[in-house]
Amino acid sequence: MRKLRTAAVSYFNTYPLTAGLRDSQLIELLKANPAGCAAMLESGEADLALVPIGAVAGKDYELVPGLALGCDGPVETVLLVGERPPQEWDELFLDTASRTSVVLARLVLDALGVHPKYTPLDSSESVARAVGTKGAHVIGNRAFDAKKPVMLDLGREWSRLTGLPFVFAVWAARPGVITPDVVAELTRGAQVGLGMRTELAQQFARENGGDPERYRRYLTQRMRYAVGPYEQTAMETFLAMAAEKGYLPPTTLRFAADRLVTRRTRRPVPVEATLQKGADGGRLDADELERLDEAAPLLELGLAADARRRALHPDGVVTYIVSRNVNYTNVCTTACHFCAFYRPRGHAEAYVLTREQLAQKIDDTVKAGGIELLLQGGLDPDLSIEWYEELFRWVKQGWPRIALHALSPEEIWFIARESGLTLDATIQRLVAAGLDSIPGGGAEVLDDEVRRRIAPLKCSTDEWLAVMRAAHRRGLKSTATLMFGVGEEPRHRANHFLRLRELQDETKGFTAFICWPFQSENTRLTASDTSAVAYLRTTALARLALDNIPNFQASWVTMGGGVAQASLHMGNNDFGSVMMEENVVSAAGTTFEMDAAEVERHIRDAGFTPMRRNMRYERLPSTTPSLSPTGGEGQGEGAPSACPSA
Amino acid sequence: MAISTLAHRALEREGLGSIRDAVLSGRRIGDEDALRLLASKDLAALGALANHVREARHGDLAFYNRNVHLNPTNVCVASCKFCSFARKEGETASPGYTMTLDEAVEKVLSRRPLGITEVHMVAGLHPTLEWEYYPELIRRIHAAWPELTIKAFTAIEIHFWAEKYGKSYEQVLRELQAAGLVTMPGGGAEIFAPRVRRKICDDKATADQWIEIHRVAHRLGIRTNATMLYGHIERLDERVDHMRRLRELQDETHGFQVFIPLAFHPEHNMIGQAWSKPTGIDTLRTLAVSRLYLDNFDHIKAYWVSAGERLAQTSLAFGVDDLDGTVLDEKIFKMAGSTVPSALSETKFHALIRAAGRVPAERDSLYNVLHVHNA
Repeated sequence: MRKLRTAAVSYFNTYPLTAGLRDSQLIELLKANPAGCAAMLESGEADLALVPIGAVAGKDYELVPGLALGCDGPVETVLLVGERPPQEWDELFLDTASRTSVVLARLVLDALGVHPKYTPLDSSESVARAVGTKGAHVIGNRAFDAKKPVMLDLGREWSRLTGLPFVFAVWAARPGVITPDVVAELTRGAQVGLGMRTELAQQFARENGGDPERYRRYLTQRMRYAVGPYEQTAMETFLAMAAEKGYLPPTTLRFAADRLVTRRTRRPVPVEATLQKGADGGRLDADELERLDEAAPLLELGLAADARRRALHPDGVVTYIVSRNVNYTNVCTTACHFCAFYRPRGHAEAYVLTREQLAQKIDDTVKAGGIELLLQGGLDPDLSIEWYEELFRWVKQGWPRIALHALSPEEIWFIARESGLTLDATIQRLVAAGLDSIPGGGAEVLDDEVRRRIAPLKCSTDEWLAVMRAAHRRGLKSTATLMFGVGEEPRHRANHFLRLRELQDETKGFTAFICWPFQSENTRLTASDTSAVAYLRTTALARLALDNIPNFQASWVTMGGGVAQASLHMGNNDFGSVMMEENVVSAAGTTFEMDAAEVERHIRDAGFTPMRRNMRYERLPSTTPSLSPTGGEGQGEGAPSACPSA
Repeated sequence: MAISTLAHRALEREGLGSIRDAVLSGRRIGDEDALRLLASKDLAALGALANHVREARHGDLAFYNRNVHLNPTNVCVASCKFCSFARKEGETASPGYTMTLDEAVEKVLSRRPLGITEVHMVAGLHPTLEWEYYPELIRRIHAAWPELTIKAFTAIEIHFWAEKYGKSYEQVLRELQAAGLVTMPGGGAEIFAPRVRRKICDDKATADQWIEIHRVAHRLGIRTNATMLYGHIERLDERVDHMRRLRELQDETHGFQVFIPLAFHPEHNMIGQAWSKPTGIDTLRTLAVSRLYLDNFDHIKAYWVSAGERLAQTSLAFGVDDLDGTVLDEKIFKMAGSTVPSALSETKFHALIRAAGRVPAERDSLYNVLHVHNA
């Protein structure tokens, strides 16, 4: 097959998208400036191109989903500079190498009420001429060196104007060119490239001079490479504003489909015999799991899973824990399509909790009998490993008996990458600072076909498992999760179970499994079946599949008490947490509330004996004060490793 | 038809082998059996048995209809402690309402574009309205919209009017039937046991009166529903007693169409301050046991407005074959704190039913199938 002639800009900030494509069997890279890329795509000289967002306006292009070149707040390389404030400019020299940043400049100045005369002029000359009442528009590598009394960062100005990130460039092609294979290859390339940003910065410094650390920070903290809901909104907003002013023709964005269907040949599997095999503790393979997922009736799955639960937990005890879920920040750069919780950095609702706020929450938790703090957050590039270490030490110093169940694999992966540390070293440092165990959030569906579609830049299946493996080897315990209902199919769920089971065979580090349905409110991703019956089926199937994970936790927060009770008869043996806070799931749909007394009543009504446990699923001595209704206002979260995302 | 080995073994383990054998051979189970099932700790096994009966009767069909609720007044002389809907006449803090005939008819007619097939109408026990209001309301609705089936008034209202206007039950029912009433809802049954009734609804029709009114209705050819309000202060044997009385009348008349157990909703009423709401598992158990015990009832309904979408959907595997209707304008449960949406679109209904592995079937008020929605 002929390689796709692929035009991409040779600016430093595109390296993370292109560096991983250098040896691609599918992509042949051609270099050009932004306008050049657009022209090559237009003329057919290129099949595919990384084009400025403005260049797709009015065109019939399809875009690659999930990937782009953008920023969230200050960007440093798209500037307006001059000697006086912009309000005094009567002429602005525009660098026409990028039409998009020209339009962005005009929209920003329009909003400031400034309307200078616009004169095209390359950045190489314009900076020197931006004197007196003249301003200049500077883009690309040259902007790193621009020094003028007045410098307007257009990334920051856009964020102020709209509260949104900005997308400068996207992969585009004529309809039909972007097949799922192409999306997969570009995504793979981006994942490789994003993993070597430190090296890319060093290389750039060697070739062009300058501070490699500054370049590294630019690539990791300024640039954004994911397209999620906010980025999509940002593109639409920009194009709509530009169209309204007549700067660009009106456009509807179209993303190429990225479903890659790879099916293996399946052997026929008898349903009833397989259920019996699972009920008897036999190990089920992918064909068997897929078949049960598709064809076994709810109650038969439930009966088989119940037999497993009885074998593993014969004494009829259902455990629960009193803990608090704290989301230390909602700033996140991963841009998962299913997440209604995160905010871009410039957003009015973006937050990082202060120590005072945290102290208040932990005090409340301890007062309510809580013994665990579940600490998770978004991936905020402004937070370093030192920040986490200090935070953990501070928690342990102030509240030595509180267990820290913190940081999902995605966060640990991110901290390691941002800090230039190995996974092992990262975990070692976090443990030394006080980390006790890891929540299993962010697993979503451990199948890259699904992950690529719902969260292109989230860590891959292998990466998620690599973090868990490293953590388990360090002696940490963790939970494992599944978020179903994101359009995955039975084969994806089977893969998910098998990957977890495989790692568990190796490490024995998972204490529990929790599943819950995707909650789609306030997100752009359409849910598939997330009904109560789907929940019960998934729970039961997982109980049959994961023969080596001891505990199964019910998600009453998403499902309500009644369905959670029913799930205790279909595989679950734990009623999750009485939690005093939950933000992630509730940002995207209905959640339920219960205090500890109510949790115990539900467990008893369902025919079981309630017992409190700790984070390691060890039952607490019955001398523990049985819960009175003072157990906190109990906004629970049955999937305590809350983050569907982090 | 059999049940799976897994279900067999589970039932055997729970000591429910003899009940299982009775059910599988089509024999009637006794009160003791029902009580044991209600106390059983194996939900999945109980469900499997109830599901067996349900599938033998209805296969994969799950029924619903398209209906609108009309509550022409919530002024009521009764003081049922579980009710959050009723208001006393002249109450000022939270005043009641009474629609004029024009308003009531207009309200129903305004729903005409929605393709509904039934109006479900119940009212408070109003102290001062004239008798003629009720037949006239039915007459006018029927005249304006003859294809619409009118399902109206509980035994409690029939009893109240019979006493108030000096008529026999038969006279009251005949006049309403002549005006256009086709079928009657099953409300007001609550729990038949006198011990419970004295405590929660002392001043309305007794169990015997409720039963007698349904007997008369059945004799007149009016098919009716039967309900049970559970999860408050009643004991499990009182639930069984309630179902026994219904089963006996059904043996005699065959006039009941469906049994509808309703979980007590505690918010904003007098019981709720002292008693907590039954947990969801009670709903699934009660529905399943009623399917097994009420062998002479065609249908078991989970009223989703009361149970919630999730439990209602789940109950389709626990003996339930009917989810009531798309229900526009429901007020009584809403005022008792139910938080489910006030109406479910037909599309949503179909999706819920299909996700439970069933086939949605629209029915009319008399349980004739109008349309089977095969995917």
